[in-house]
Amino acid sequence: MKRARLFLPVFMACGLLFALSLPRSKPVSLVKVLKDRGPVWAVLERLQIDVRQELETCFLALADREDLRALRKNRVAFSIIDREAGGIEDYFIVPLRAPGTLDELQARGRAAAVEPRTAVFWTTAGLPMEVLPSELPRKPLSSSSVLPFLRAPVDIKRAAPVSAAFQDPVVEVLAAQVSEAGLRSLVQSLQDFQTRYASTTQCEAAGEFIYNTFSSLGLDDVWFEPFVFSSGYQSRNVIAEKTGETYADDVLIICGHYDSISPSATRQTLAPGADDNASGTAAVIEAARVLAAYPLDFTVRFIAFSAEEWGLWGSRDYAGKARTAGESIIGVINLDMIAYADAMPEDLEVIVNGRSEWLAERLIAAADLYADLTARKTVDPSFVYSDHSPFWDQGYRALLAIEDNPLRNPTYHQTTDTIDKLNFEFFTASARASLALLAELAQPVREGYPRTPIGLTAEPVVYRSLFNAVKSARLSWAAQAGTSGYNVYRTNMSHLDYVKLNDAPVTSTTFTDDHLRIDLPYYYVVTGVGTTGLESNFSREAEISPDNLMMTTQTQVLNFLQMLRAR
Amino acid sequence: MKARGLLGLVLVLGLAASARAQGLSLSLSAGVFAAGQETYREIYGPGLPVALEGWLNFRGAFGLSAGVTWLRDDGSAVAVSGGGEQYPLRFERLTFPLTIFFAPRLKGLVLRLGAGLAFHSYREKWQTVDLGFEGTCLGPRVCAAVEVPIAGRLSLFGSLVYESIPTGVEYTRGERINLGGLQALGGVAFRVR
Repeated sequence: MKRARLFLPVFMACGLLFALSLPRSKPVSLVKVLKDRGPVWAVLERLQIDVRQELETCFLALADREDLRALRKNRVAFSIIDREAGGIEDYFIVPLRAPGTLDELQARGRAAAVEPRTAVFWTTAGLPMEVLPSELPRKPLSSSSVLPFLRAPVDIKRAAPVSAAFQDPVVEVLAAQVSEAGLRSLVQSLQDFQTRYASTTQCEAAGEFIYNTFSSLGLDDVWFEPFVFSSGYQSRNVIAEKTGETYADDVLIICGHYDSISPSATRQTLAPGADDNASGTAAVIEAARVLAAYPLDFTVRFIAFSAEEWGLWGSRDYAGKARTAGESIIGVINLDMIAYADAMPEDLEVIVNGRSEWLAERLIAAADLYADLTARKTVDPSFVYSDHSPFWDQGYRALLAIEDNPLRNPTYHQTTDTIDKLNFEFFTASARASLALLAELAQPVREGYPRTPIGLTAEPVVYRSLFNAVKSARLSWAAQAGTSGYNVYRTNMSHLDYVKLNDAPVTSTTFTDDHLRIDLPYYYVVTGVGTTGLESNFSREAEISPDNLMMTTQTQVLNFLQMLRAR
Repeated sequence: MKARGLLGLVLVLGLAASARAQGLSLSLSAGVFAAGQETYREIYGPGLPVALEGWLNFRGAFGLSAGVTWLRDDGSAVAVSGGGEQYPLRFERLTFPLTIFFAPRLKGLVLRLGAGLAFHSYREKWQTVDLGFEGTCLGPRVCAAVEVPIAGRLSLFGSLVYESIPTGVEYTRGERINLGGLQALGGVAFRVR
């Protein structure tokens, strides 16, 4: 008995100590961090803040008390949106398209405007998918931090486009093969499923149809990628691949979502989604049909995503897995609603974030050269309501091609979104432009031309004095048979405006580019030159990143630009 | 403009002080400069400064000195990551010090211990690339100088000067460039009155 009396307090004390030693869950808040004060991204990176979304004017982040203290200490302007942040999938970014939208959202759950055109919505009463109005697109916060991909923007003014003046006859032939009849037939077939709402069996059947169509084209591989979405539903992305002859591991993606939606009363049985997004899916399949017969330097994946309307589930699943696997995705062309024209001639809107601007520039040039179509670029990281956005979250370059921004299609998310409302002249031009861009980037292999160089690497060497620094790039690549020399090209903007550095072809497989600015990125490509003077396609890009070595605000770079031009 | 203003101030102070001065000597010296910051030493190594200074002794043991020091250093850019290229550099600094000193009476030699401010104008130039940087700044200094008479008005002169030359320019994040250090000079001094 005495022993028991002694044992009890000792046992309780041990229990108390054990309980105290357990890691306590810290209260986490959802915060909005303003971008307006200098390089906020660098402070967030230093403090390792859990940033889950980049928008045009702010970041959305999860922060515990320590993070909030650190933000205050570093004078970062922020405001708390929700003091008791739950699971990430509870928060949806939604657009504020009409004056009363925020009030409507607040009546259905909790909502806060984070930008004039953007709100965050969350609710504990039911599935957000069911609670949110059907006409509103939505995107959940990223399931992992986007912080590693927030790089300092480098402000480079683009010179007159060089590449736009060059029309590639092979790409022209490919673009011309996009068939209006083919697009029409594909849209009709997809519409005929009545609904492609992601949780329905008809959507599953539409996936089968896309799989079978891809399979009939003679591509290298076709497969389903299943995923679970919104608390237990299942759906599948449909993926087809044309493997690159030269760079099998470097991938270009053209994609569109094949699921559809209409108001909640009808969506289970009728959601034809001809424009949204049978049009994008048809353009992806048509691109696969045209390119299937051509050998390409780079691998191309044709992807039909599912559950986009539920919150980009298919593309989030795919992009997350791609990043985890360390996949090299050069660029993503996302086609979502590319067939409705409220007036002709209709422009194609191209939405990108700052790091993907080159893709938009290339699409604008391709649309003009190969499709007689005007495309317009909008840099807007807040436009996150389609399948390009999860790729942004994972640090990949991606664009959205869409008919209007803001949308003008009156049948958007309605049962009246049918094939008879589409403008096939505009639709065909949009499909040709996107195919042309894809073909330009994937580079058709040409018979009789030298093979595309491989193995290009760029090693930076930085030299510095007390107040200045210069950089050299040491390039090397593998020798290619049938090549008598090489040309080396450089640019400050990825995939744009390459300038040749050598006067005569370089006969060795190394090249040093001296006297480079330390604060700018440099991108290099190499071509092989044959004995007859024919030049190969570009190699894959090798990058020299900007350095943060020189933090001075007073460094004077004297006549540096003149020096570069003189070279 | 700053340099001219400071020179004017030095001149006015010098004239005013010399009116009350008990003695004046001029020193011409050269020596070696060892920078305090490793970054500077790595690029330029030790420097060879030349200095001309006037030393005014007031009544009592205090005095004022002013002058000019010129330093030129050649070096080469440091390769941060690999690299075997040579980028020759030239660094030049012109310093105008103004020092108040204490000179205790000692037999057979003149010892001066002083502290003051100096105005620095500096320039770094890449010799083979069109890159350069110019700047000016003010910085504190302390010095000890000694004169040992050898013949008539002529003395052997030696000094030890420590200067801080904060440029305010960041070299890397958190590390600001300070061009200061220790300089040891030797030469001759001439007693004017």
